This record gives sequence, C-alpha cells and structure tokens, in this order.
Amino acid sequence: MAHSKHTTKWLISGPPLLYLLIFFAIPSLIMAFAAFRFPGDYGGLMPLVSTSDAGASTWLINQNNWREFLTLENFLRFVEDKVYVELFIKSFWYAGLTTLVCLVMAYPLAWLIARSARKTRDLLVLLVILPFWSNFLIRVYAWMIILGPQSYFSSTLNKVLAVFGIEPVSLLFSQFAVIVGLVYVHLPFMVLPLYANLEKHDMTLLDAAQDLGANAWQRFWKVTWPLSLPGVWAGVALVFIPALGMFAIPDLLGGTNSMMVGNLIKQQFLDSRDWPFGSVLSIMLTLTVLLLAAIASWAGSRHKKKGKK
Amino acid sequence: MKKLLLALPVAAALMVSGCGKENAAPKTASAPQAASAPKASADVLHIYNWNNYIAPETVKRFEESCKCKVVQDYYGAMEEMLAKLSAGAKGYDIIVPTGFAIQPLVKQNLVQPLDLSKLTNVKNLDAGFMNSAFDQGNKYSLPYAFTTTLVGYNDAKLKELKLDPTSWSIIFDPAILAKIKGKVTVLDDSRELFAAALMYNGFSANSTKPEELAKAKETILKAKPFWAAFNTQSYIKELTLGNIWVAHGYSNDMFQANQDAKAANRPFGIGYSLQKEGNTLSVDNMMIMKTAPRPDLAYKFINFMLDGKNSSELTNMIGSGNPNKAAAEFVQADIKKIAAVFPDAEAQKKLTQLGSLEGAQLRELNKLWTQVKTAKK
Repeated sequence: MAHSKHTTKWLISGPPLLYLLIFFAIPSLIMAFAAFRFPGDYGGLMPLVSTSDAGASTWLINQNNWREFLTLENFLRFVEDKVYVELFIKSFWYAGLTTLVCLVMAYPLAWLIARSARKTRDLLVLLVILPFWSNFLIRVYAWMIILGPQSYFSSTLNKVLAVFGIEPVSLLFSQFAVIVGLVYVHLPFMVLPLYANLEKHDMTLLDAAQDLGANAWQRFWKVTWPLSLPGVWAGVALVFIPALGMFAIPDLLGGTNSMMVGNLIKQQFLDSRDWPFGSVLSIMLTLTVLLLAAIASWAGSRHKKKGKK
Repeated sequence: MKKLLLALPVAAALMVSGCGKENAAPKTASAPQAASAPKASADVLHIYNWNNYIAPETVKRFEESCKCKVVQDYYGAMEEMLAKLSAGAKGYDIIVPTGFAIQPLVKQNLVQPLDLSKLTNVKNLDAGFMNSAFDQGNKYSLPYAFTTTLVGYNDAKLKELKLDPTSWSIIFDPAILAKIKGKVTVLDDSRELFAAALMYNGFSANSTKPEELAKAKETILKAKPFWAAFNTQSYIKELTLGNIWVAHGYSNDMFQANQDAKAANRPFGIGYSLQKEGNTLSVDNMMIMKTAPRPDLAYKFINFMLDGKNSSELTNMIGSGNPNKAAAEFVQADIKKIAAVFPDAEAQKKLTQLGSLEGAQLRELNKLWTQVKTAKK
C-alpha cells in the first residue's frame, strides 16, 4: 500500500519536475555560466572546445589559461554605466503601474462576476478569456489603430481637449500607449485569480459584519479585502512579472523613450549578438525580482507576528 | 503569505524561461529538418529568406521546373538570421544574407563554396555587383537583389512645408524637424541609424572611430525629441495612412508604401529619394548552407533565379534593386526610372555597403545604442 502510494506520488509529480529541470533549471545554469564567458567573434559565445574537421574535439580551456575564457567584465559593464540600472528602475515602474491599474480595474469586475447568477457568471468568465482566442500581436496591432491619430478615439479626444484650449495630444508611440497595451494584455491574469478567490467567500460573514454595525466600507476593508489577499498576491505576481519582461509592446506601441529591460535583453541576444551581457541582464532581473519577493514576504511575516501579539 | 513566497519564484521561473526563449528559439529552426528528415527522398528545397522576398509566381514556376516543393522560412533582420544559424539551426538549403553577414557565415563554416561552372546564368549579373569586398571572386555568394536605405516621405506634406528630402538633415536637423515634430520615424536599427548620422556629419558610414561615433550620437540625441518612434515594424502602414510624414527606411518598403497609398486613393503619394551625403546599400546574396540537405536543388534554384525574367519578377513585385542585366528588359518602365531603385553610375559612387563589426566594435556600438535609446529628451 505504502509502496503504491509512493509510486503514485512520483508519477504525478515526476513529469512537472522533469519539465522544470529540463526547461528551467538547466537553461538557467547555462545562462548563469554564459554570463561569465566572452562573446564569440560572430555572436554566440567564445568556444571552450575546438572541433576539428574530422570531428575530434579538444578543450581550449585549462587551469593555466582560464582567465582568457572566463571573466567578470560582463557584470562590471552592468554597473559601470548607469543607463542599465536606470532602465531597470523604469521597467519596474512600468510594471508596477500596470499591476496597480490592473488591480484597480480587475477587483470590481471580479467581484461582479463572483456575485452574479451562476449562468451569467460562466458567460462573464468566458468573456474575460475571449481575447485569448485571437493572437496577442493582432490585438496589439488593433490598439495601434485605436490610438492612431486618425482614429475616432483620438480625434474625439483631441476635439474635447481643443474645447478647453489644450494642444492636441498624440496617443500612439508614447509611454501612455505602452501602459495601455500592458494593462490590456495582462488584465485577464488579474481578473481570474481574484475571481477564483472572491467566489469562495462566505457571504454570511458580510451579513454578520453588517449585523454588528459595520458600514459598507468597513465590511470591504475588514472582511472581504483581507480574505481576498491570496488572490490579490497571485494576480500581482501573474501581472507584474510578465509585464516586467515584456518587449513586444514597447516595440510596437512605444515612442522614442519607451524602452524596457525586455527590449534591452532582446537587443543583446538578437541585434548585438552579445549573449554574455544578455545573460547578465537576465540574471540581474531574476535576482531583483527574487529579492523583492523576499522583502515582501519578510515584511508580510513581520506584519503577521505583530497581528498575533 | 506563504502563497506569495510560492507564487513569486514560480512566476519568476516563468519569466526567466520567457527571456531564455530568445536563446532557445533557434532550436525550433531545426523543425524543417526534423520534418523533412523522415522523407528525405521527397524533393524539397528549404529556403531561409527575408519575408516577402520572392514572387509567388516565381516559386510556382520553379516548383514546376524542378518537380520539387519549396518550403520557405523567413527572417525580419539579418542579426536574427545570424543568431539563429550561429546557434546551430540546420535544414536550410538556400539562405539570402546581406553583404556584411557573408564573412561571419564563411568564418563560422556554415556555408559551402559555390561551383560557378554549374551556374550558366552567372553571365547575366552586372559586373558592378560582383567581386564585392565581402566575397572576393564570389567564392560563396551571388547577388540576388538590393535595397538602399533612405528617406521616404509624404510628397504632398513636404511640398506644402517646402522641405527638401534629399539631405539627411530632414531627419537630423532640429531646425527642420521643428516643422515636422512627431511625424518622423527612424529605423530601430543601430547600424543603419548610426550610418545615416555618420554620413550626415561627413564621415564614412562604416566608421568605428570613437570621436566620429560620439559626434553621430550627439546628432541623434539632438534629433530624438522630434521623432515619433524608432520603427522598423510599421512605418509602411503609418506612411500610407498619413500618420507619419517622413520615415527613415528601406527603398523596397517605400515602394510598397507608395503602391498602398495609390491603391487606397490617398490624396498624397510616398516619394523617396537618395540623400546627397550618401546612403547605405544592402546587397542580398544567395548562398548554400554547408549542411544543405539538397545542394543539387539549391544549384538549380540559384541558376533559375539568375535568369533575367525570373529575377525581374521580384523587382516588379516589391521594387527591389536588381543586379541582373538580363532582368532590365522585363522590369516595368515606371520602376526602371526610379533613381532610388536603380541608381545611376554617379549615384552608385555614394552608396556604401555596411561592413561586419567584430567583438569590441559591436559592443561599443551596442552601448552607444542603449544610451541613445534610453536617453531622456
């Protein structure tokens, strides 16, 4: 009995573990190693092994000459010019703003869906998922049309602004367009975890709170909000992290000043063929996110302890 | 709170794998090989080419003549293609790289020498496009078509504003740009934009001298606040719609934009002209991969494309420059007279092909580019 239980456990957790090992752990290690190497003359990495035409390979690197093959230079480049750190800060700001706007928009929507009648609820959830049925790039191109200077949206807005004597604004190719695109693409990832959480709330708790004299705001802030926190955190993680690494939206909707760190990483791998520096940037991004997560959970646990006292 | 602890690393894992995708992407390129491997007996030619860079009727006629099937895969930028092939993508027979990529491909041992004696139509090629610095004696490559990088513009608007598009000042001089602020895009390409800025300052498009690059960077930074975007993806559409009046881009794309504007009955056309300070020229070349599964079909294809009529079809379709003398008689008259598509001998002297950058030079340009792109106003 115990044996079969053990087998079942491995059968269930084995494939995902194997998947993570092959497609996450090993590539991450390769990337971490690449960060210490030199770029090849024509892109890629400087080879450590030379292969003759006959197919025999010999190691070029040995304990005497390893300094010619491994370096900290790539990390130094990251800190020696402040443009990279500034770009990180800007990307975190973009991703943070996107997350906040998504949360503010998604919470009432998720609440509305969770409180609807069963039949409507399924339809509404379907509508939230519906955009996924068409390709992401097509939807971003649609935004290019909506935000373009000749669209009804832009021209109406500019007519309204003109009434107040404000200069016409250009919506496309701006930081505004980038944030709109980021929010649009990530909104469902905030709605769904929030809905999943809110749907499970016991409505009698709110009745009890009301009986005890709590007003609408107090019922939300003291009951619903704390109970929904796991959903909020899940949504925040699902929005913030992909938004941080996004490069297609700044490329398509952004102006001359909308680059994000994802564009910089893409530039290293595709345009400059500088894999080591691209790896450094990716590692720094991962470490920063993990650091933020650690700080958040530390702050959270401190808060909890205080609460218990 | 435990849930947060769990959720973040998992999401971080997702993100990292997202970034790593650039790295892993080339591996998917081996798909055509995997797909063709089991049925190696089937006659299939794999071409890895620029997007929209061969006329469908040409492909169809080649398929009929060789009794084989052509499978195409596309790239949007040379660096993308080099990155993919350097990472070991296999399965392609023919590739069509731009001049500067020839040496990197040869030195990485990714292509095979051409046996010119098998290609009877080589005689059709214009001697001016043979023996380029990138491949002396055409040991590995033969010219396919070319484009020039120039300024395309909304002819009605420029006439109205009395602006002269025949100098790079149209995208770099703040005094001129003030009149067209927010209506200009430049290529999101470090090599091309720096080349234009270098030529505007009277330097060689291929300069790697730090002081000249610094001057070019200064020129770009002064002009940047007036530009709408760095755009390689959608300037054809923006020009055609009239959202953008001046775009730094490729001659083929400007031809396309003008066709589109005509088809949509716009009250303006898209003009394009070479700049007096000089322009960059990109000659795309046919090469055979070392790992080509079907070199025999590859030779057939190259010889087929060197035929005047076959070669002219691309020019008629996309307005590409044509290095094939025999193609001239098949090219539409209105295309043949466009100076930017068929530069005369005098104009040809001012055209420069971009050379390949190595190691430190590439890193330096990359750094300058990041500074340019992240600079605040």
